[in-house]
Formats: sequence, C-alpha cells, structure tokens
Amino acid sequence: MRILLAEDDALLGDGLRAGLRQLGFQVDWVRDGLAAEREVRAEPYAAAVLDLGLPLKDGLEVLAAVRRSGISLPVLVLTARDAVPDRIRGLDLGADDYVLKPVDLHELGARLRALVRRAHGQPQELLRAQDVVLDPAARTVRQAGAAVVLSTREFDLLQVFMLSAGRVLAREQIEQQLYSWGQEVESNAVEVHVHHLRRKLGSGLISTVRGVGYVLQRERPL
Amino acid sequence: MRVMNKPRSLQNRMLATVLGLVLLIWLTICAAIWFDARHELDELLDAHLAQAAALLVMRQQQGGELEHHDSTDAASLHRYAPKVAFQVFHEGRLSLRSSNAPAAPMLGLRDVGRHAGFHSLDLDGQRWRVFASRGAEHDVQVFVGEQLDARADILMGVLRGALWPMLLGLPLLALLLVWAIRRGLAPLRELGHSLRQRSPLSLQPVTLSDAPAELAPPLQALNVLFERIATLLEAERRFTADAAHELRTPIAAIRTQAQVALGETDDLLRRHALEATLQGCDRATRLVEQMLTLARLEADQRPMTARVELATLARRVLAELAPQALAREQDLSLTAPEGCHVAGNDTLLAVLLRNLVDNALRYSPAGARIEVRLSAQGEGVRLQVADSGPGLAEADLARLGERFFRVLGTGAAGSGLGWSIVRRIASAHGARLHCASSTGLGGLEVSVDLPQAVASPEASRVGASSR
Repeated sequence: MRILLAEDDALLGDGLRAGLRQLGFQVDWVRDGLAAEREVRAEPYAAAVLDLGLPLKDGLEVLAAVRRSGISLPVLVLTARDAVPDRIRGLDLGADDYVLKPVDLHELGARLRALVRRAHGQPQELLRAQDVVLDPAARTVRQAGAAVVLSTREFDLLQVFMLSAGRVLAREQIEQQLYSWGQEVESNAVEVHVHHLRRKLGSGLISTVRGVGYVLQRERPL
Repeated sequence: MRVMNKPRSLQNRMLATVLGLVLLIWLTICAAIWFDARHELDELLDAHLAQAAALLVMRQQQGGELEHHDSTDAASLHRYAPKVAFQVFHEGRLSLRSSNAPAAPMLGLRDVGRHAGFHSLDLDGQRWRVFASRGAEHDVQVFVGEQLDARADILMGVLRGALWPMLLGLPLLALLLVWAIRRGLAPLRELGHSLRQRSPLSLQPVTLSDAPAELAPPLQALNVLFERIATLLEAERRFTADAAHELRTPIAAIRTQAQVALGETDDLLRRHALEATLQGCDRATRLVEQMLTLARLEADQRPMTARVELATLARRVLAELAPQALAREQDLSLTAPEGCHVAGNDTLLAVLLRNLVDNALRYSPAGARIEVRLSAQGEGVRLQVADSGPGLAEADLARLGERFFRVLGTGAAGSGLGWSIVRRIASAHGARLHCASSTGLGGLEVSVDLPQAVASPEASRVGASSR
C-alpha cells in the first residue's frame, strides 16, 4: 500500500518512513503543506498521514482543500495538538482518524490498514476472493487453507487487486499504487508479477482485459 | 463579591429630577402670579375704597339726604358686599353706615385729620383695610373698609385658575415622562439584554441595532476589551499548542526511531535508526535544559550589578560555539573593542549571547556568515548578532519571543525557547532588544542595548522578574 507521509520534523519523519516500510507500506515523505497537497492530487495513494503543524500550509488547510476538490483518500491526522476543539475541527474538516504523538508504529500501521479497508468498502480484517484469503496485518496469504509464500511485491500486487476486486485496473494505475518515489520500475514489472501470481495461485484468479489491464474476480467464473 | 446597595434606577432618577424641576418652576410661577395679582388687586380695590370714600364725603357735604334703607340693604346685594362696610360721621355724629359697620368709628375721629388714607386694622377680630377721608371743613369723616380675607378669597380665586390645570397636569406629565424616559433608555436595556444573552465564552463584538451616540463610547470600549481578551486567549491557546508540539515531537521521534531499530533486520538501517534515537535524546535534553533555564530565570533574584567585561565574555562564548560553526563551514566572527563594561550577571549574559549566536548558526545555511559586534552606544554598550541567513518575515518578527514559537520549515531542530530566554535576560538587565533585517549581511540582526556598567557596588538591584 502506498502511503503519503507529511511531517516536517526530520527525525520523526525519517523514523515514520522507516517504520511504515518495515510494516510493508510504500512511503513517500513530504515536509511541507504545499508539497503534501500537490502529491495527494497527483498520485493514487492508499492513504495519507498528515501532521498539522506543517510549514508553508497548515495541515488542516491542506485537508480542507483536498476535501473541497472531492478527493476521498483516507487521511490520518498525526499531531501533537491534543486540545479537543482541534480534534473536532480536524475530524470535521474531513480527517478519517486523529492520532496523537507519540504513536506506536504498529498501531499506526493497523489504523492505516483499517482506513484503507474501510475506504474500499471491506469491513472485515481479511480480504477474500474465491478461495484466497489475504491477511494485510500478518502479510500472509492462504489458498484453500494452505499458506502460499509470496514475495513482498507479489503480496502488494495481490492486495491492490483484492482491494479493488471486480474492477479493471490499468497497468499504470497498478504501478502508481505499488511503487514509491525513486523505485526503479521495469517496463514489464507488473506483467512479471501477475505471471508469478498466476503460477502460485492458479490462472482463474486474475484475468487479462486485452488492451486495458487486469481484473481480479471475486467469484470463480463459471 | 462586594456587597452593593440596590443600584439606583436611571429611569427613576431622571423622573424624580424632571418632576422636581417642573414642580419647582411651577411653584415659582405660582408665587409670581400670587405676588403680581395681589399687588394689582390691592391697587384696584384700594382705588375703589378711596373712590367710594370720596363719593360718600361729597354726598354728606351736599346735604346728606341719603336713604338709609337702600344703602344698608346694599350689604346683601352681592356676596362680597358683607365684606365691605362704610361709616359717615358728620360733626362727630354717625350720620350714615352700612348695616355691617359698627356704630363706633373704625378709627379715632381725631386721628382722621392726621391719618387720612389707608390703614390696616382689627375690627371684631377681622383684619380690615380701611380708607379714612374727611370733608374740606373737617366736619365730615368717612371710613370705607373692606375685610382683608375677602381680598385673599379673590386672590385664591385667581390662582385657582392657574393651579388646577397644573395639579391635573402633573400626574399626566409624570406618566408621559415615564414613557419618554423608558423609550429613551431602550438601547441601554437592549445592551443589557444582549450582554445577558451572551455565552460567557463568546468574544464577538457587541452590536446594537441603531445605537445612540451616547452609547457608542462604552460600546466601543467594551468591544476593545473583548478584542484584547480574545488576543490574550489566542496567544495562550497558541502557546499550549506550540508547547504540545515542541514537547511531544522529540519524544515521538525517539519512540518511533527506537521501534524502527527494534524491528529492523538490516544492520545499516538499524544503526541509522539508533543514531536518530540518540539525536532525538540530545534534542529532548536541550529542550529540557532550556525549559529549566527559563524556569530558573523566572525565579532568579540575583543582583545583576557585577562588572562584566563583555569582550572577554563574547570571546569565551564564541570559542564554545566555534566547532558547531566549523561543522557547517559557517564564518563566525567577533568585533569587540576592549573595555566594554556593563552592569550585570556574567553567567546570564553568556546564556543570552550563546542563545543568540546558536540561533544564528542554526537558522543560517551552511557557509553563512555570522557576525558578533560590540560597540559603545551612548552611555551603554550595544551587542549585535547578525547573520546572512534567510531572515524573518514581518509576522514572524512580531511573534519572536513567544515561548515555543518557532518558524516552521527551517529544517533546524529548535525549541522556540531560546528567544524567551534571551528576552528574559535582557529585561533583567534593563536592556533593550531589537530585531531587524541586517543591512550588511541580509539576514536577521539582533541588537541588545545594555546600559553602561555602574562602578559602585551599591548599584541598584535589578530583579529578574521585572519584566
């Protein structure tokens, strides 16, 4: 899952980026409000972690501007401002979660996963399609009860497909959701990973829509 | 709460004043009418008495065949008639009198020669106004008298005309006044009502629809007060928000980095996270130190009157900070003539200078120039710290010195407490602090004007809390 992190403090930002990466997130880190707003508009992030005391543009203003333009991306506000009116304002302006610093990294990861899951209309913790069950927290995949070993990329790709089950995804869309900045993307990377997934999980799970992209089907085709 | 008398009603006060004044004016008018009417009445009636007397004298001299019955009956002709009486004496004998006149002369007959004219006297227990006259040969004496209470009756009759309308008008006037005053005071009641309706937390300006000119000054004063309170509250809110940010962020960074180090399998990355953890600890330490410095300054009552040689002090402080400057290839220089003595506390002045230079080093980019200058300035010494950094915007200049205020996005790890410390020490020394753009270097220039050293040891104490 690709996450945007907006935090101006160098030490904390560095730590959050490293920590969220350990938890399997792809993290892009910006240090000011204008950059945060620009990135949210430009890239298909799964969620954003937003500090409020950002230079150039305050986090709440960024949030309000983003919501005004109809972007529904889940936003987790991570801040030191603990006054109740601040929290109320944050949530009213469109924050999906309001977390006080300092925060436990695992808790932050869990909250982000929950936000993303809810944003995709998935109330359960586990993602299911056909006989495949994906556990985003444990980062494990089981097929018909048996564990399937996937690489990090393969897991991320399967998660992207399962979150958007039934919807056709273009290759560029998938790439944007998989890779953070500075990561080299081979031109046929998605095809290669899809190929590996089909080999490990069977070819009935992911179908190719020629000239458009791929689609993961929730139910096995008859 | 202070025990207060029941507040006096403005409405009742105005009503009482206006009614009192109206009553006073009315009484004055009545008195004037009274005196004027009495005077005119006296003149008129006196003239009548004199004329009647003259007629009676003439009649008596022309033969005196007066028909007694007609004359005596005259007393019953008019309701005033019994109040009027006359006597005519001829050669000492009563020749004619009205029925209500006594037989004895009203005035001694002998006296008439001496006392012709008007007299006020008592007859049968009544006050009478009597006109005495006599014939040319002194054989005829005529007295024409009138009871004085008759005049009073007439006078009252005249006044009654003026009194009745006033007596009826006074309650009516009071009612109209109540209405008019209530109407006039309506904006005041509206103000009171709108103040009562306010939430105690509301700091919105009070507005009155159609406020009269008299209410504008208090209304304006009230709104200025609300504005000041709002500003204070906003500063306080900002302080707690900034403090929360400054205190929580280093701890959040330490916690996060430590957790990253725990979970990291790659040695290089773990090492990076651990180093970051240490950096976070250093930052938290610095923050704690600054908070303690500030707290001690608040309570410090040490005399600030020692003789401090600033050039030596500046060299010492800059020597301490030089490694920090060298690490970022910043050019730190000192221009200090010898003999810059000030009255103060050398430890605190060193803290002040260290904070100023440290700020300049932190907020200027690598390779920047930082100049520290000492110069004689009138009686005192001017200490200046200028840098070639980005400087500060006007709005940020204004907020400098608010505890925990820090310009965001500078990339430097500061707590925003340094300025509060500088300000506190400067004020304890009676020094003037001034921030501006450096004309020479383009960045921020801070000037501290310290008063000249006082040679005598009995110099006045300057308390640290005298801000």
